Amino acid sequence: MGEVKTKPVERAEQGLWEKSYIPEILRGLSVTAGHFFRNISPRKSQRRIFTKNYPEEPTVYPERYRGLHRLMLRDDGQVRCVACMCCSTICPADCIHIEAGEHDDPSIEKYPAVFVIDELRCIVCGLCVEACPCDAIRMDSGRHIPPYTERNEAFFDRDLLMELGGLSQAKQGGDRTPAAAE
Amino acid sequence: MPKVNINGTEIEVEKGTTILKAAAQAGFEVPHFCYHPALSIPANCRMCLVEVEGARSLEPACYSEVTDGMVVETKSERVIKAQKSVLEFILLNHPVDCPICDQAGECKLQDYYMAYDAQESRLRAEKNQKVKVFPIGPEVLYDGERCILCTRCIRFCEEITGTNELTIVQRGDSAEIRTFPGKELDNPYSVCTADICPVGALTSRDFRFKCRVWLLQSTDSVCTGCSNGCNIHLEHFRNEIQRYRPRYNPQVNDYWMCDAGRLSYKEVHTDRLLRPMSNGAALNWHGVTETASAKLARALDDDAGSFGFVVSPQASCEDLFLAKRFIEEVLGTDQLYLGGKPDGFEDDFLIKADKNPNRQGVKAVFGGLNDFGDVDKLIDDIESGAIKTLYMMETHLPADAETRQRFVDALDKLDLFVLQAQHCAELANQAHLALPACSHAETEGTFVNFDGLAQPFEQAFAPHGDSLPHWQIFMRLARAMGQPLTYTFVHQIRDEMFQASDADENGEPAEAQAE
Repeated sequence: MGEVKTKPVERAEQGLWEKSYIPEILRGLSVTAGHFFRNISPRKSQRRIFTKNYPEEPTVYPERYRGLHRLMLRDDGQVRCVACMCCSTICPADCIHIEAGEHDDPSIEKYPAVFVIDELRCIVCGLCVEACPCDAIRMDSGRHIPPYTERNEAFFDRDLLMELGGLSQAKQGGDRTPAAAE
Repeated sequence: MPKVNINGTEIEVEKGTTILKAAAQAGFEVPHFCYHPALSIPANCRMCLVEVEGARSLEPACYSEVTDGMVVETKSERVIKAQKSVLEFILLNHPVDCPICDQAGECKLQDYYMAYDAQESRLRAEKNQKVKVFPIGPEVLYDGERCILCTRCIRFCEEITGTNELTIVQRGDSAEIRTFPGKELDNPYSVCTADICPVGALTSRDFRFKCRVWLLQSTDSVCTGCSNGCNIHLEHFRNEIQRYRPRYNPQVNDYWMCDAGRLSYKEVHTDRLLRPMSNGAALNWHGVTETASAKLARALDDDAGSFGFVVSPQASCEDLFLAKRFIEEVLGTDQLYLGGKPDGFEDDFLIKADKNPNRQGVKAVFGGLNDFGDVDKLIDDIESGAIKTLYMMETHLPADAETRQRFVDALDKLDLFVLQAQHCAELANQAHLALPACSHAETEGTFVNFDGLAQPFEQAFAPHGDSLPHWQIFMRLARAMGQPLTYTFVHQIRDEMFQASDADENGEPAEAQAE
């Protein structure tokens, strides 16, 4: 058995002021009351509270927050996605279902006739975004995945995902001269 | 025999061997686009250039034959520089539309770029534009921008099919593959051009945009389109066959297969009988086995002489062997008929008139085809009342539409009609008992092709719906009827089957493994 080292601590001697309790209780309450009034102050910058009144007060997410997926658009408003299946291949939760279709425009050729993401299965890893060669899928919508009452409401289809979409800065496809396109 | 030194490895090869083949034997890959082992050698892609000691310039490995004492370098600095230059040249006007290209994942250009080039394009001008999505034939699409002009497809049409549809038009960077005026790429083997195309220039219309190739799982199987029994890679994704691709077998089909056979996978997924049915009501196997065994036993008690059995040459040898045991040991009938598809188109290459994959298997298992009645006899026997109970394997009959209608009409006269088949056709509604069997993709077995070559095929995925392999259905019924046939695995049946056939037949196809 080793010897246990001890260090005696001197107890602070309480004076009459502390022993009478009342003034110390009042001092403590004044600190609490100070926080209380500061945090209900109409000037929000003065408040020192971190609680948010969600959802009345929206949360500000960091720039790279991964939220609900969105499908980006071409300049003419069509879907950017070319149904290459890279996202559904990389997806570890297997939550992306794509069925490719033949596009009427021969310079596009392939587009997703069906594009469904099961947001309940999604584990929000962001690999689909990294895999996409066309900047067609993103998770920067800044939105939560909304709550559902029915399971099938979590299947977000192409048009729903495109509603959140925007234009990309990346150039897609080459310009085709009419002679070559015929 | 000449001795060559390839990258420091000494190897002795047959006289007349090309450097490319010798390097492969020594274990070195020489990249190549235009060279295909079954076609002539034009040496036009220049991808296979290698350095031969003493030679002034680099030599194409696919064309140059080895000589005694030759010293070859396939990885020297000069060769690597040449490979990079060739790839840069080929990729100069390549659209790099891999995301929408069906070849991506099995593309030689992709593979070689990653392995031998991996540098950025130095082209700053606009790329040359050519025709895209050009319908060059009823089964094949052509994309001019992706084409590297290796001429494999042209040589295929000249040397294998002899139909000569394709040629190169224009010159320089406007050169494209086209059909001769008034022709299109419309021969019975046209999709083979998409197979041998090293890039995505020629692609199959059927497989277009269906599935990415890296998602496919491949199972070694045999085509059921006709009695030739072409070896195939059965490629499937999520329990569904996506395509057939020929599997090299010099004894049967070499590198090729026909378009009709290629599309025959669709039968596996159309009109399937998926639940056991009794008089049109879906049952489970437990219920239907009891019902079926009771009904069959009653039919045998009443009049065993009026029991007919239709054997199908669509079923595998193992299924047929159990059918034979079921017929002989449980049913005890000798009124056998032969079903199967009617004869069709044939040519002198791969396509055979007999559209059943296993007629030779029926011959081997049942010891000849003499005991079998034909369709006319079957219909006559039903109509005359000689057959009151019919047990039918598969829905096909070698008959034209009119005769088939006669057969369907005659079915009303039967006391009991048991159908054990993959497909519903029009017969499942008529059947008193319909037992779902599974296709060749969902079980394993053996087909014997027209030449007597027994070829095994593997199971690709689990049976669809409640279907079971034919042999398991026979086993269930036999057990329920009190005369169990006991097997657990297909290979047990296979062993016993080959023993039995070796013992009592001498004109018997020997077991020959494909490849």
